[in-house]
Amino acid sequence: MNNTIDISHYAAIADSIRAEAARILEQGVVTAVVAYTTGRRAGSVQPVIITAAAEAERLTFTAASVNNLAVYLTKAKKDIPRSGRIGIVVKGCDLKALVGLMGESQLQRDQLYLIGIPCAGVLASTVRPAEALIAATLAPKCRECDAHLPEGCDYVPAVSLPSAPTLEPSYAAEIARLEALTPAERWAYWKEQFAKCIKCYACRQVCPFCFCEQCLCDRNKPQMVDTTPRPAGNTAWHIVRAMHLAGRCAGCAECERVCPMDIPLNLLNRKMAKELKELFDYEAGFAVHEKGPLNSFMEKDDQSFIK
Amino acid sequence: MHPEKNNSSAFEPKIIAFVCTWCTYAGADLAGTSRMQYPSNVRVLKFPCTGRIDPVFILKAFQQGADGVLVSGCHPGDCHYIAGNFHARRRFAAFRKLLEFVGVDLQRLQFSWVSAAEGGKWVDVVTDLTETVRALGPMTEFKELALEEQWSGALTTPELKEAYLQI
Ligand code: SF4
Ligand code: SF4
Repeated sequence: MNNTIDISHYAAIADSIRAEAARILEQGVVTAVVAYTTGRRAGSVQPVIITAAAEAERLTFTAASVNNLAVYLTKAKKDIPRSGRIGIVVKGCDLKALVGLMGESQLQRDQLYLIGIPCAGVLASTVRPAEALIAATLAPKCRECDAHLPEGCDYVPAVSLPSAPTLEPSYAAEIARLEALTPAERWAYWKEQFAKCIKCYACRQVCPFCFCEQCLCDRNKPQMVDTTPRPAGNTAWHIVRAMHLAGRCAGCAECERVCPMDIPLNLLNRKMAKELKELFDYEAGFAVHEKGPLNSFMEKDDQSFIK
Repeated sequence: MHPEKNNSSAFEPKIIAFVCTWCTYAGADLAGTSRMQYPSNVRVLKFPCTGRIDPVFILKAFQQGADGVLVSGCHPGDCHYIAGNFHARRRFAAFRKLLEFVGVDLQRLQFSWVSAAEGGKWVDVVTDLTETVRALGPMTEFKELALEEQWSGALTTPELKEAYLQI
């Protein structure tokens, strides 16, 4: 079937990453490289931070390289000691997150050495990391990816991106389906989804933009969001989360991937991204913007909904 | 929280109004000092600026039993802090879309610009929203969530129903 995603170039990418990581560590361009290494289970891959050229041989890149490594550079992970310039392996979606963090003054471009991946897609889940990459196992975000080739990186492996089958975007279809329902039906849908949440906050932990020192949702004086994993608090958590990520979310879909309860978190993110595109012509991309759509304004902004 | 109340014809909507102190609060004050009549259903909460009105306050209001919410502040260009209402306008434009997507009826959430001189407009806005919400009936969605929170689910078994009726 031509549903197979061609990732034959990933082996060459892995070789290039190893060589480049060794070179930049050797030459002192960077003090550390954030990348992927082989995990213990067959086919599995996990994030790693290496600081010596000799360790570079451990690095890899496969269809199981799902993690958005940008999260390791945020304030939320400040227990990772850091000095000097850091090398980091980024797929297109991960780069959008880094760009967003630069726009929010969390990172400086000259403190980073970006190794960009000509990415054909990654697995939706790491439950079976050795699985073949076909349309059914491909991460939904990759179906509608517009960032296969990251731009503005310091190094991109010299491989050509194989042509990929065109796949129907699944988020867009699901958003359209929900939009066509009545409010009551939508409420019923989300009520069921949110009810599943166990408030493990894995989604918050993995998100590169959830770097607040104290999350509003953890505060109890005043308590704006009930912290218990029960319907009211869950609904409030999900609405607040979607709102706080609106105009910032890079669409890496890590939140959705890590959710143990299979809540379609990225559906809310995509919906907000769609609305912000329509309302304020804003989209997460490769260009650093000093201000996002929700911390800037124009006098002529639409106010037809205001009396 | 008492289900039998919901069916009674004497439903009085609870409207929470988040207003800025410089324009809409003064406008509401003007309506009062001019002895204009407006529905007493509205509970006014004063903020320094619409820019300080976090969307989470609106959620909280619905959770705590509001049937409708009004957010009101200075007209564009009149903000005491220069641009607070411009920021608020964008934030609420986005927040409305989010609430709509999770299934909240947007007729229950009204935004308006009411200046310190517009006592009459305040009366109109509040009256309109109150009547719209009255026609819609009580906002049950968020309240049901809170109820489930206390009851570990809907009152589906006879035992639970009986226990509920005894309190
Ligand atoms: S909200 Fe989800 S998709 Fe968006 S940046 Fe955070 S983890 Fe990625
Ligand atoms: S990861 Fe899933 S279950 Fe955990 S807090 Fe987030 S939405 Fe809830």
